[in-house]
Amino acid sequence: MVETSYYILLSASLFTLGILGVLVRRNAIVVFMSVELMLNAANLAFVAFARQQGNIDGQVLVFFVITVAAAEVAVGLALLVTIFRNKQTADVDAISQLHG
Amino acid sequence: MLDLIWLIPLLPFIGFLINALYTGRIADAHARERTAGYVAVGAVGAAFIVAVLAFVQLGQLPEEARLHQVVLWTWIATGSLNVPFGLLLDPLAGVMLLLVTGVGLLIHIYSIGYMHGDKRVARYFAYLNLFITMMLFLVMGNNLLLLFLGWEGVGLCSFLLIGYWYEKRSASGAAVKAFVVNRIGDAAILLAMMAIFFYFGTLNFFTTTVNGIEYPGFIEEANRIVGVTVGIPGQTFLVGTLISLLLLIGVTGKSAQLPLFVWLPDAMAGPTPVSALIHAATMVTAGVYLIARTHTIFTPTTLAIVTWVGALTAIIAATAAIAQWDIKRVLAYSTVSQLGFMVAAAGMGIYVAAIFHLLTHGVFKALLFLGSGSVIHGTHETQDMRRMGGLREHMPTTFWTYLIGALSLAGIVPLAGFWSKDEIIAHAWKHQGDVGYLLPVFFILLFASALTAFYMGRQLALVFWGKQRDHHYHAHESPSVMTIPLIILAGLTVLAGGLNLPGSHWLTDWLHPVLHEEAAQFSIGVAVFATLLAVGSGYLGWWLYAVKFANKITVDGKDPLYHWTGDIWDSMAAAWYFDALYNRTIVPAYRSVAGFFATVFDPQGIDGIVNGVGRLFGRASNGARTLQNGFVRTYALAFFLGVVVIIGYLITAL
Repeated sequence: MVETSYYILLSASLFTLGILGVLVRRNAIVVFMSVELMLNAANLAFVAFARQQGNIDGQVLVFFVITVAAAEVAVGLALLVTIFRNKQTADVDAISQLHG
Repeated sequence: MLDLIWLIPLLPFIGFLINALYTGRIADAHARERTAGYVAVGAVGAAFIVAVLAFVQLGQLPEEARLHQVVLWTWIATGSLNVPFGLLLDPLAGVMLLLVTGVGLLIHIYSIGYMHGDKRVARYFAYLNLFITMMLFLVMGNNLLLLFLGWEGVGLCSFLLIGYWYEKRSASGAAVKAFVVNRIGDAAILLAMMAIFFYFGTLNFFTTTVNGIEYPGFIEEANRIVGVTVGIPGQTFLVGTLISLLLLIGVTGKSAQLPLFVWLPDAMAGPTPVSALIHAATMVTAGVYLIARTHTIFTPTTLAIVTWVGALTAIIAATAAIAQWDIKRVLAYSTVSQLGFMVAAAGMGIYVAAIFHLLTHGVFKALLFLGSGSVIHGTHETQDMRRMGGLREHMPTTFWTYLIGALSLAGIVPLAGFWSKDEIIAHAWKHQGDVGYLLPVFFILLFASALTAFYMGRQLALVFWGKQRDHHYHAHESPSVMTIPLIILAGLTVLAGGLNLPGSHWLTDWLHPVLHEEAAQFSIGVAVFATLLAVGSGYLGWWLYAVKFANKITVDGKDPLYHWTGDIWDSMAAAWYFDALYNRTIVPAYRSVAGFFATVFDPQGIDGIVNGVGRLFGRASNGARTLQNGFVRTYALAFFLGVVVIIGYLITAL
């Protein structure tokens, strides 16, 4: 049986990669993918802890996260398509009209 | 009935509401005018009937019970200040009620004819009814604050009605002048009210019971401040003197006495019935009423000043009245002068005589003003007496009634003005030994009454005798809706002297529960002398302008007497330059202070504070808004750093 700490390490490195992706990449789709990466890192941690504790709660929560993430992606991609139609680009820095 | 006296002010108020809210919306001008007139006359007529019934019932009570108070509700109750909204009816308020509603009713009827064809007539009648309401509050208020409400209310109505024809610059200017000058007096009344509350703890005139609790009245407890002084060591004043002096300042404003009389002649810019009602018969007499009402707190020092103010006003205004060409300005200065007689009478402590003269003057001066309105109406808005002349033949009813009013004002036996004025002059003569100033006051008042006869003789001659000097109009008699009030008032002028004839002195007995005065002594010598003087100077005035100089009076020409008097005549025509004095001293100072506030203090001080606060937040938010640069990734970084900080804190803290 693999130690829980390995799972946590993997989860943490995935989460860090996700944050880096959100912060440094300008393409909106890549930013999305990075967000998904962070979500799945969290899912991994949930599942790992659930197995260690012998408890099903963490597993249940993962299903919720997956469902919400699916909805979020649907909305996000719809926004993205609209932005692309208006701006001819998916660069997140190009969408800055609302600055003060 | 006595418990229903609240109907008396309520009825005109309902008339005001109907005319103000409903009548103005009637589309048809003809129907609108008729409705406005009928509603206003009906409201005042109903109030008059209620007043008469209440008056009769009051007379049936035993003498010491003739003080009826009706507390409608508690008006103001904060801390120790408890002001009921209460009305009172006592003999003094009773006679004032009858004057206000009775003469008011006649003037309302007259207004239907005089204001015929005016385009804002609903507004006119609404103001007139509001005025009657406020005047009734003034007379019937059972505390000083309610009296003050009426006092301010009549001032407001006076302002609105002087400026009724506001398209005329002179009318709106006169309205503002009247309002501002009155404000000076009103400020003094406010101070007097505060002082009275400070020393008596109450503003009620008489003991009032509200919800079973008895509140004292300051009129009855006036001896509580006898001998009480205030001031710095070495220079103290009697509290009673200070309070009564403040009241006197208020009186000089409202009753057009020295030094604040300047607004009344200008107030003639309003419609003539308004001049008759507000600026002759009722509102301007409020000051005399106030003195009579609060006479218990007047000290000898103040009374001497009151007497002098009245006497000097009487003589100054009488001289000014001689040199006027405008038919209404003669009457305006005459009113100021007669108010001076009343105030002087009040100062001499003969309040009955003051009220007697107030009542008779209210009747015959209303008659004179309405008569002059009839002349103005019949000569197509001519007010300059040089353009009149010979109107006796064209306007017989107006002439005869005007003659009766003028003779009464001049003090000819047996008309009302003779009896009331004689009581004042005779008192000054009979009691000259009591205080030193009564003898000069006697001569001043005697001279003023001789001048009164002179200018009335002059006015009669200029308006009704001689030949018509200006033929731009065709003079005609006024309709009967205007002449019938004149005839009624003329009848009252003949009879009103009977109120207080030397033998019966009904008014003295009637007012005894309030004023506690003995009947005035009649002096046959003074009466004969004063009458001869009045007849002589009145005839002189008539003879000079109707016979001697009849041909020398020309349109826009100078007065024939100008040849002998010169500069003095100019001074009299300008009322001894009081207006010019104020325009050179107080008005510019006031304007420069007001200008400073308007152009410097307000834009830079008040606006500066407000705008400064706004600008401060503007600057601060300008700095803050650069944080929001629109780059999503920056926000995400901020979130991330925030999360790191929070988690870091949780880790270290736990």
